[in-house]
Amino acid sequence: MSDLEVSTRIARSATSRRAGTRRSATVGEVVAALVIVFLLLSALLPGAIAPLDPLAIRPLEAFSPPSPGSWFGTDESGRDIFSRVVHGTASSLLIGVSATAIGLGLGLILGTAAGMLGPVVDFSVNRMLEVLFAFPGLLLALFFIVIFGPGVVTATIAVGISTAPGYARIIRGQLVSIRRSAYVEAATVLGRSRWQILYRHILPNTLAPIFVLGTLGVGQAIVWAASLSYLGLGAVPPAAEWGAMLAAGRTYISTAWWLTFFPGLFIVLTATAITVLGRRLQQRVREQG
Amino acid sequence: MFRAPLSPRRAAGGALGLAALLLLTGCSAPDAAPANSGPVTGGTLTYASGDAEPTCLDPHVGGNYPQALISTQYLESLVSKNADGEIIPWLATEWAEAEDGLSWTFTLRDDVMFTDGTPLDAEAVRANIAHLQDPETLSSTGYLALGKVTSTEAVDPSTVRVLLSEPDSALLESLSQPWLAIQSPTAIARGMDENCASPVGTGPFVVEEWNRQNSITLVRNEDYTSPPADAEHDGPAYLERIVWRFLPDSASRYAALQAGEVDMIDNAQPDTIVQAAQDDALEELDAPRPGASNRLELNSGKPPFDDVRVREAFIRSVNVDDAVEGLFFGTAERSYSPLSSVEPLAVGDESLFGFDPEAGAALLDEAGWSERDAEGYRVREGQRLTLRLPVSTNQSIPAEQSLFEQVQATARDAGFEIVLEPLDLSSWYGALAANEYDLVSAPYTKVGPDVLRILYHSDGTTPAPSGYFANHAQVRNPELDAILTEAGQVSDPDRRAELYAEAQRIVLEGFYILPLYDQQNTYLLRSDVRGVRALPTVSAPTLYDAWLDR
Repeated sequence: MSDLEVSTRIARSATSRRAGTRRSATVGEVVAALVIVFLLLSALLPGAIAPLDPLAIRPLEAFSPPSPGSWFGTDESGRDIFSRVVHGTASSLLIGVSATAIGLGLGLILGTAAGMLGPVVDFSVNRMLEVLFAFPGLLLALFFIVIFGPGVVTATIAVGISTAPGYARIIRGQLVSIRRSAYVEAATVLGRSRWQILYRHILPNTLAPIFVLGTLGVGQAIVWAASLSYLGLGAVPPAAEWGAMLAAGRTYISTAWWLTFFPGLFIVLTATAITVLGRRLQQRVREQG
Repeated sequence: MFRAPLSPRRAAGGALGLAALLLLTGCSAPDAAPANSGPVTGGTLTYASGDAEPTCLDPHVGGNYPQALISTQYLESLVSKNADGEIIPWLATEWAEAEDGLSWTFTLRDDVMFTDGTPLDAEAVRANIAHLQDPETLSSTGYLALGKVTSTEAVDPSTVRVLLSEPDSALLESLSQPWLAIQSPTAIARGMDENCASPVGTGPFVVEEWNRQNSITLVRNEDYTSPPADAEHDGPAYLERIVWRFLPDSASRYAALQAGEVDMIDNAQPDTIVQAAQDDALEELDAPRPGASNRLELNSGKPPFDDVRVREAFIRSVNVDDAVEGLFFGTAERSYSPLSSVEPLAVGDESLFGFDPEAGAALLDEAGWSERDAEGYRVREGQRLTLRLPVSTNQSIPAEQSLFEQVQATARDAGFEIVLEPLDLSSWYGALAANEYDLVSAPYTKVGPDVLRILYHSDGTTPAPSGYFANHAQVRNPELDAILTEAGQVSDPDRRAELYAEAQRIVLEGFYILPLYDQQNTYLLRSDVRGVRALPTVSAPTLYDAWLDR
């Protein structure tokens, strides 16, 4: 994540020549947009897409393979997997977006403190971030769950917290480079106060890249939250959550592949689509910059 | 032609062809006739357990099934049980009950040594019983089984007398269990930590190394002389070594067996049992555990299940039959008894457990749970009809966890809200100790119907030194207490059967439990592993007679 900053700068100088000439969307981006529209519909109106109750059991129809009547087959309790995957979209997206918001929020506070409050704060925040970077993100999330107990809310906060150090470092870098820019120097010379400069000049220029970062982060957060549910630390049965569905289905992976394939497919599609769109946004921001 | 010199290239080609041929025949060998005509000595057997890794390898401490599985390989008991259900000699050759039933005298084998060189004698047996009864040992299973033992005397080196506070018709069955196995008193004296890491017994294998969170290595006891009376052979075991691994994920466990990475697994999943039946390279060993059936226990010690009508309403409102049929692929049979089907005195009553939501709804109305809230759950005085069900993910196989989800779904239609709480073993014990449950499924394995006393006598609501109490249904019924006490004392088999039948009737008609099926205990093994059998005591496998036909 931290080398994103570097790549942003390199890419910016490379694409600045093309600034103004807007590239048309690729096939991948169109597909990604369609997937996201479908996901949003699934999240907002799940009943319209999959009318069957995702929690309704039909024990005697358990383990039915995909068929015209049941597109994705049924699970070990005879629940309709298509319904479960569609109805699980809202919670998966919500977890991803909330976790990213938490991570970005924390990152913004830490990054701004480090970038704006002088060398002592900068030094201590940076050392703290380095300590946190020593642990893989998922390990931090697990550590948090050990302390506060499993569940959807703690899993969301845990994923948020574990992504915060990455955001904080990028935001700090962004702030430092903007602070050294000519227009900020000009504002300083004109005698504007530190908060005025932060509010009028620095924040507006950091928000767009942060929004892009956030978009890219949602995909990762969804994958992490699903991982925690897969480990039994997030959503609990019989919730229609993708990670929890994967966990329940893995027992039967050698006899009934569809129990794990479809929730897995949705996780991959969601993360990929959001990332593709995030990259496109990133390019747009660079072109404008 | 045959004298023509072979060019190097041709020779290489020939060698390659030969190698390919060897490879092909090598591959098909396991499907062909057995490689050996009789038991072969040597080799390592890798066993993969799906049970939780024990925290202590000495089964006196605590006393659960994972400990029984492994300790059966290195510890032995005073008596055993044969396939016909008769108690047979093991470390004790003879025994006799006193006229008044208040003492038993055991004659021990005089030629057996523990693997640390300590002789097996009356003093060793006395030390073991004292160890089990010492609160510091934190025993639950062994402690409860010895509830009537007041003291033990070493009459002479090979004769030991056990004194009782009242007659105990279950004493021999209790002593046959691995949780009451006899260990070296020298080893016990080292203290709990050391004895937990490397307990010392008289068994066919010895604990060599315990690599925590990974595996336990056992090596053959070369001086072994004490097989139970029903073993297939004498002298040391055939296998040289056993590697006992822990693979909690059932799909990986089965995949490891299929790949030949491990030789034997336990806790096989229903779908893999069906799959293995079609695979020539795999075999099944089905050994239902004795003692209690797998059942949901209804906590009658607190609301809402302190009201028998709510208990019956719950039992009438959940559809267990369809769940068992859908999830177990015909590998499990529905039970209607508190006892395992392998217990000869088990009594069941199907009529009490029919799925009848209408009758359930009428009972709930009668009990005051007549309103429903916005989500459709029953309420009484503003309180929702919520039931907490902590699930031990170590003890309940995934199919059973799915069964609980289905119970949750059908109970929901009737207005019960069941909160499933998947927990690891220690948190699960914690939830039980804190009385934070309304429903629970806790397996209990014990040899003989005396398990009913452990599970349903009001004494069972008092925790053992380990903190565990076995009467999760919290049944406190003086009539039942009296019957169970008498049944535990009488030696007349007919009277005993009659009393236990009566006790089971009270438990079933009081709707304290919802029986599901026998405790599933299916092992899968590679077909070239021969001679494995489950000891008829608690159905733990013994690898003493096992050998590798490869």
